Amino acid sequence: MSPRSKTAGSATALGPGIGEVVERFELEKAWLVDPVSGREGPGEIVITGGVLESVVWLEGEEAKGVSDRGVIVAPGFLDLHAHFREPGFEDAETVATGTAAAAHGGYTTVALMPNTSPALDEPGVLERIRSAARASGSPVEVLAYGAVSADRAGEQLSAMGELADAGVVGYSDDGAPVRTPTLLRSALLYAGMLGLPVVDHAEDLELTAGAEANEGYVASIMGLAGWPAAAEVNAVSRDLAVLADALIDEPRVRLHLTHLSTAASLDLVRRAKDAGLPVTCDVTPHHLALADEWIAGARRWSWEALGPDGSSRDPWADGALTAPPYNTSLLVNPPLRTPVDAAACLAALLDGTASAVVTDHAPHTVVDKEVEFGRASSGISGIETALGVLLALVDAKRMPLARAVAALTTGPAATLAGWPAPAAPPAARKRGLVEGAPADLVVFDRADRWTVTEDSLRSKGKNSPLIGRELSGRVLLTIAGGRLAYEDPGAGDE
Amino acid sequence: MSVEAEAAAVGRTAGHARTQEVVWHHRHLLDVDVVTWPEIELIMRTTDEMKGVLARPIRKVPALNGRRVTTLFYEASTRTRVSFETAARNLSADVVSVSTATSSVTKGESLVDTIRTLEALGAEILVMRHSVSGAPHLAAEIFGGHVLNGGDGWHAHPTQALLDLYTMRQHLPDGDLRGRKVAIVGDILHSRVARSNIWSLTAAGADLWLCGPATLLRGMDRWATAWDGGAIPGHGRFHVTSDVDAAVRDADVVMALRIQRERMQGGLLPSLREYAARFGLNAERVSLAKPEAIVMHPGPMNEGVEIAPDVAISGRAVITEQVANGVAVRMALLYLLAGAHEAAVGHEAAR
Repeated sequence: MSPRSKTAGSATALGPGIGEVVERFELEKAWLVDPVSGREGPGEIVITGGVLESVVWLEGEEAKGVSDRGVIVAPGFLDLHAHFREPGFEDAETVATGTAAAAHGGYTTVALMPNTSPALDEPGVLERIRSAARASGSPVEVLAYGAVSADRAGEQLSAMGELADAGVVGYSDDGAPVRTPTLLRSALLYAGMLGLPVVDHAEDLELTAGAEANEGYVASIMGLAGWPAAAEVNAVSRDLAVLADALIDEPRVRLHLTHLSTAASLDLVRRAKDAGLPVTCDVTPHHLALADEWIAGARRWSWEALGPDGSSRDPWADGALTAPPYNTSLLVNPPLRTPVDAAACLAALLDGTASAVVTDHAPHTVVDKEVEFGRASSGISGIETALGVLLALVDAKRMPLARAVAALTTGPAATLAGWPAPAAPPAARKRGLVEGAPADLVVFDRADRWTVTEDSLRSKGKNSPLIGRELSGRVLLTIAGGRLAYEDPGAGDE
Repeated sequence: MSVEAEAAAVGRTAGHARTQEVVWHHRHLLDVDVVTWPEIELIMRTTDEMKGVLARPIRKVPALNGRRVTTLFYEASTRTRVSFETAARNLSADVVSVSTATSSVTKGESLVDTIRTLEALGAEILVMRHSVSGAPHLAAEIFGGHVLNGGDGWHAHPTQALLDLYTMRQHLPDGDLRGRKVAIVGDILHSRVARSNIWSLTAAGADLWLCGPATLLRGMDRWATAWDGGAIPGHGRFHVTSDVDAAVRDADVVMALRIQRERMQGGLLPSLREYAARFGLNAERVSLAKPEAIVMHPGPMNEGVEIAPDVAISGRAVITEQVANGVAVRMALLYLLAGAHEAAVGHEAAR
């Protein structure tokens, strides 16, 4: 492979183009992480005809010099929450550019949110997305959610049954919460009957009208309208109360709360799970690693902004403001919270309250982002930086490598599989390094740091607050379903 | 002295402040938070010089002759805009005035496009007023010249804070605010004037008190607590209270902020009448302050709401002085920014 990867692993050059079957690929002396078996260590893999023919764990003399700080092989990542903007907003992203970006991030499966235009509220839109995926030539598996409500208007249910027949993996009005508790109750029951979950974006819109940044110290100084934690806590409370009611009538109801961002809302989910409610939740890389102080110009990781007593440090007092303030790439919904909330997101991930890390990849055009802070569109282009951000947590010893890989693979797969879909999508089953199965994996070099630039992002959305930052873990190769999804341009140089 | 000689005199004494060895190096002035105390003193001294110019029969010097100052106001404003334009003309600058009601902005042109257009049309110094916090920071990133913030959202109004500071210094012995009690009463939450004054007055060493109803103080307690231990280099602590008598008692300076009618619709206040009764600066309340205390207001005033009419025209009120000083302070800042343009090596970041 590339000269960069030679330090730890070496492999034969690939050959095929994107979307073509990987006929023969061997990787010697790499660090394998298999979150299904729970095993990690030195090993070798061989792919023949797109199938993972052998996985060999090395021991003793053979394993020497192979560490978890070099070339790593993991199952392909699964993103439960992404926006590829097609149809309707192709200036911001298309299925083709989105899948290319996903593959560059190590993802082999993505589940797309239905806030397209038209909204994915009937099977015709899903067919358009699938057709675009086929046309892209990318082997990245594209799943999709249907809208909860027709046109995402929050008034009446979408064509939920037809959408289930067409193969959506759940329902969401993401971008906005399911508008009323009454509609949520209906959606949970109807989706439960169909064996699918409702994925809610938990936000009390009444409390966030005009809001610009997490309500607190940073927003106060910056003169930004506060976005209270209560808006998320309130919405999560509502959702859990409605879920408990719906469960009485339909045992198959499932609720998934996406991109939770506050300590208090995660605690509500923790308690609800303990009480046996069928609820799951996820967190994003940016809510784990960034904090509201970035809007003021801080650029340290959230865990670097915690004081010894676990409270948030003061970026003004620390002289930590190194970048221009009001960068609209930091405007995201829910907003970046305090370092304490970020620590709570990590704690929730580590104790299983949150079952997955999702990117909420939300590409936007320059037109939508190069505007006044409070007028910019919300969202971060994040599918290509999720791995690097999680590796920053690993590098800082906040999280074991295997746990980071699980949060991107078995965590979301188990979440999908736990939803009582009549036929769980193959994505839910393919997250291990399984001999004899189609190769579905990512190879990255943890020691190979790369700089996030507009050019390095395959996504059309350059709205990443990490632009200019160096991340660990350059992705060298992504293989999805036995076919080549991404290969580092430096690969095969030798 | 000829007009040219006066300009030269201004340049000698103010521009490079030989005696203090403080050189102005900021390319933009977006807020006072990044301006050091010696730099604030330089602004104050330069303002002294500009006051001297304004005291003369011909209030005009050629310091910015041929330089182009553009005012871009996305929010209605009479006094700030006129003040900036008067200041620019006093320095012989060419003034272009763009307001959103008459520009392409009404056709949907973005801020970025508008600024690029103005730059192409020759704008060198851009004075900007905008309703969104941080808008001038965006302007500063794309504009090749200098951005002077004329007020952004709830965030900052640096020229107001500096003219407030200048006016306070005029009325205090030796112009020294250290230990002097300054009470700012009103809608702190939505006030860019209050925010900028927090930075400048805590830098000046004043004993600053922010006062208002709890609904209009949200977040301020947390801020004050964070700064309580002197955490921020160069800035002292300040107090936050809803007890207006405690805030005003023995104050050297009492400042009222405008209460906007929209706050009632937002459910933040029961009524203007109740606000006037509980927080309005009336004669009785002001009498709690020191006998020589001054009363300030950044304008425009709602007389009978945040300030009683008799207080607004009393001998303590320095409200028209604030307006007059505003021209001098803005002349000083235009002068310093234009001078920095000549001296700047490379591009200083916005912060």
